[in-house]
Amino acid sequence: MVNVAMVGAGQTKYGNHPLGLKGMWAEAAEQAFASVDGDFEPRQVDEAFIGSLAFGGAQLGNTAALLTEHSGMNGVPVRRVENACASSGYALRDAWMAIKSGQADVVVAGGIEKMNDLTPERKRYWLGVSGDTEWERLAGLTFPGTYALMARRHFHEHGSSHDDLVHISVKNHLHGSLNPKAHIQKEVSFEKAASGFMVADPLTLYDCCPTSDGASCVVLAADHVARQLTDTPVWINGSGAASDHLALHDRPSITRLAATQKASKQAYEQAGITADDIDLAEVHDCFTIAELMATEDLGFAARGQGGVFARDGAGRLNEGAVTVNASGGLKSKGHPLGATGTGQAVEVFHQLRHEVTHGRQVRDAEVALTHNVGGSGATCAVHVFGREVA
Amino acid sequence: MDEHLVWHGYLLSHHEDFTVIQSPFTLNGTRVFGADSDPTTLAVAALMHRIGIESVTSVSVPEGMDGETLTAACGVEVVKEDDLDDCPWDLMMSDEAVVVLAKQGAEVTVPQLDVAVPVMADEHEALEQAWTKELHHQHVSQGAFVSEAAYMEGAEARLAMMGQQHGDSIVWPPRYGERGASEVTGMKRTGRVLSWTALSAAGAPSEFALRAPLLDGLSTVLLQLDDGPNGVFLLVDDEDHNVTMGAPVELVLRRLYAQEGFMRYGLKGRLV
Repeated sequence: MVNVAMVGAGQTKYGNHPLGLKGMWAEAAEQAFASVDGDFEPRQVDEAFIGSLAFGGAQLGNTAALLTEHSGMNGVPVRRVENACASSGYALRDAWMAIKSGQADVVVAGGIEKMNDLTPERKRYWLGVSGDTEWERLAGLTFPGTYALMARRHFHEHGSSHDDLVHISVKNHLHGSLNPKAHIQKEVSFEKAASGFMVADPLTLYDCCPTSDGASCVVLAADHVARQLTDTPVWINGSGAASDHLALHDRPSITRLAATQKASKQAYEQAGITADDIDLAEVHDCFTIAELMATEDLGFAARGQGGVFARDGAGRLNEGAVTVNASGGLKSKGHPLGATGTGQAVEVFHQLRHEVTHGRQVRDAEVALTHNVGGSGATCAVHVFGREVA
Repeated sequence: MDEHLVWHGYLLSHHEDFTVIQSPFTLNGTRVFGADSDPTTLAVAALMHRIGIESVTSVSVPEGMDGETLTAACGVEVVKEDDLDDCPWDLMMSDEAVVVLAKQGAEVTVPQLDVAVPVMADEHEALEQAWTKELHHQHVSQGAFVSEAAYMEGAEARLAMMGQQHGDSIVWPPRYGERGASEVTGMKRTGRVLSWTALSAAGAPSEFALRAPLLDGLSTVLLQLDDGPNGVFLLVDDEDHNVTMGAPVELVLRRLYAQEGFMRYGLKGRLV
């Protein structure tokens, strides 16, 4: 079967972006196209998948068609992929499948979200649309509350603590301070992170990712095309995905994400590797407790030991076996919902090509993973990448 | 009067021929509704108590009570105006936060109870104004909301804790397409806290934007229900946020939120 490689990748800076949807997407797509080493034109694209929640509803319908029009891809078959915060993780998977199926040779996967042009009240409304509207929202829950329930239960079952979450926040702020594309390029002290404004007990402001504007885009190609376009392709050696109950209370356990466990198992098996082989992982830390649980669910830490993993600094840049969220993660790099999944792939693209600057390169990075979660774990996409094809 | 007790967070007085249910909250000596109660929530509490003692199949309902909610929560038929003469039970309300459920023709006396939880006048007024604003038909949703159709579709599960028997276990809320599940079955309204959070007003969903700041945020609990399933519920009358892991909780009916002229009711957790 055909192998699939990333041959180009680009993204806007995350944060309060001055442009709207069209301008942000054009910027990310143009960077991605320009990053392809060989001659490349957008008209070579056979198919495109763009992830977005369409936050705010400004262009809720036919979002993707508008965006292709503003990136030189007018006429390319395209659709918006929506799986909440995992939208572009799934767009990446759809693009990978399009090539795997033999129906396309060059496919664009991307994502976009414009979040900061809304009033606080409208923003708060849209931040809660991806949980179970009827049962969770009516019980007062948006995602800070949902993840707070997970955190408190994890503390109770496994002896982890808020201090463990603070270590994650401090680490990701440190990594983000080195990333010129990050929303928050600022270190934070342990003491400050530990004493933040309480959003949803036990989660404080420093446990929560920011709401960011941003767009990200990657170009995928079948192996026979990829080798014409670049000498340094980044291979997608595994793609796993799974879903779970939408509402937290329907799941047998709330201290793990079954969708993450299933998706990562698939991706590892396809790539013929284990968690021990991963050099860097971009994991979905919408809240610090999400990263703590992800390190367990992805196999970097034993069940219940995510707190110890965080406390020991095992995920810090070039300090442990695996660097977790070298980009700063959602916590510091930012979380423009629909853009996050392919934004993680953009980071991996540059890391595995060993071209990351500002002291943020993971040493000798050969194998990487991205982990993109929708909502509180109802959907998840995991991808495994390598400098060598599996 | 035979018996006085605290019931579903209210003061209940039981008589052979009638049930009186009163809000514990007072303002200047007058009984007033709590933050999320109204005549309908008091009426449901009265019916639930009486149904536990004897059969109540139909009831007359005064203007100002939500008959559909009473039916969904308690399984009683709400009698139409033309049939009132044949209705064995009447629900009545007063100017205060007091509701009476009485057998037709019963001579009712409302007991004067010593229990009183004073509320602050300005806070009480602000909450009532917030409810009025919420209920206005121009208070609209931007999209993801619980429509009347969705509310009624889930009403028996939400208001009467009806689940699906599936072998030895119960699925709640019921699922369409749940293969192997039998008819709905009523569940106990009790459970224990598996986890909890206190949300700041800023962290609460926009449906609660008007009231959450007045209540200093919201408290939500994840419960393991005594019949097996788990569920998430707002806590009622929990200004002190003093919930703990494993604490026993009973579920009582209260107002959840209003939008577009339509009040949504649901069960909330009450620490016991």
